[in-house]
Amino acid sequence: MALQISTRESADVTILDLRGRATIGRESESLESSLRELVAAGRHKLLLNLANLTQADSSGISVIVATHVSLKRQGGDLKLLRPCGRVLEALTVCRLLGAIGSFEDEAEALASLRRRRYSATS
Amino acid sequence: MTTPCSSALATKTALVVSSGSDVDELLTNVLAHEGWSIQSVIDNHQALARARAEPFELIITGRKTLGAEDIELLRKIRSARSHVRLIILTDEWTNGDVISAMREGAFSYFSAPFEASDLAEMVRAAMAEPCWDDGIEVLSATPEWVTLTARCDIATANRLVQFLHGVKDPSIPEAERDHVITAFREILINAMEHGAQFDSSQHVEISFIRARRAIACRVKDPGKGFSLEELRDAAADRSPEDLFGRARARDEQGLRPGGLGILVAKKFVDELIYSEKGNEVVLVKYLDPPNRPTI
Repeated sequence: MALQISTRESADVTILDLRGRATIGRESESLESSLRELVAAGRHKLLLNLANLTQADSSGISVIVATHVSLKRQGGDLKLLRPCGRVLEALTVCRLLGAIGSFEDEAEALASLRRRRYSATS
Repeated sequence: MTTPCSSALATKTALVVSSGSDVDELLTNVLAHEGWSIQSVIDNHQALARARAEPFELIITGRKTLGAEDIELLRKIRSARSHVRLIILTDEWTNGDVISAMREGAFSYFSAPFEASDLAEMVRAAMAEPCWDDGIEVLSATPEWVTLTARCDIATANRLVQFLHGVKDPSIPEAERDHVITAFREILINAMEHGAQFDSSQHVEISFIRARRAIACRVKDPGKGFSLEELRDAAADRSPEDLFGRARARDEQGLRPGGLGILVAKKFVDELIYSEKGNEVVLVKYLDPPNRPTI
């Protein structure tokens, strides 16, 4: 399935529910542009719900890493929720789960993002 | 290469051999959603008669027939309708059937069990792809060694990977097989992108070799290659902090996110060996030796 992205808000956190696959081509470009638009619109706390993401190749993972890095630089943050299957494997072998922050429980993920105070210089 | 590319689809009629309610419903939903009309038949005999009588842009076989029977159907239909897209669904097949399907120009091959979403995506790709039937060409094939060429575009890479999912080997654990396919896909995309800039007039050359205790894939791209130092650097194990630093540097240089393909591939196989020119790579996955009786 091509990538479907739906967004919802929880206070200052934007949750992106990803469904399908984040692989090179239209899918990873779609993910990148969605994330860029959110960041440009001032949404600096993002939670990627990966529970229904069936595949992510290096292109999709690179988009996630780049957005994480970009947000950190701006004092924001990006975290992961419920990666599974092949996506979990790919993130695990690159040792990104702990480095980015991954949660099984949405409430915990939101709490973690809210603990981080927004600061342009942090 | 085999045949010239077909033109973009002008009309949209699909012929579907019944597979049973779930798959039939899925196909009906996908095809109807994209504006296709559908004609259904109950077996390959009816499918051949219908396909000879009128042209169809897409034919999807039923999963109840043997893979070999579907290939025979494909052969007969393509002798009359050379550019028809045919997707094979089957519950019973051999690895030789998968190779034959590629040789005979099947668009794709789904052997049970398969993900409904993957099938739906491949059907959409078949409908969207204006130029496809010179994409994969099998140059030689034995059970242990298959050599082929693949056109340098993402759609062809995805088709080839789907064919690979149809190749089963009971002596290789499913997870290890998936790892090899994941690594191969990364290297294939890398070769198509960096060796040919996804130029669809270019092809990569690929060999799959099954040794007793290893699987090897060789991928050769048409590019000028890279220095071995660059390739070693791309494959080097890195801390997350290092990966983040590299992502930051790419952003500052205005490059799109990327640069992880070789690293990911390296993680899923045991060895990546590059040629001196750097445009040719061999992936090796070692298999555990079979259990030997203790003395």
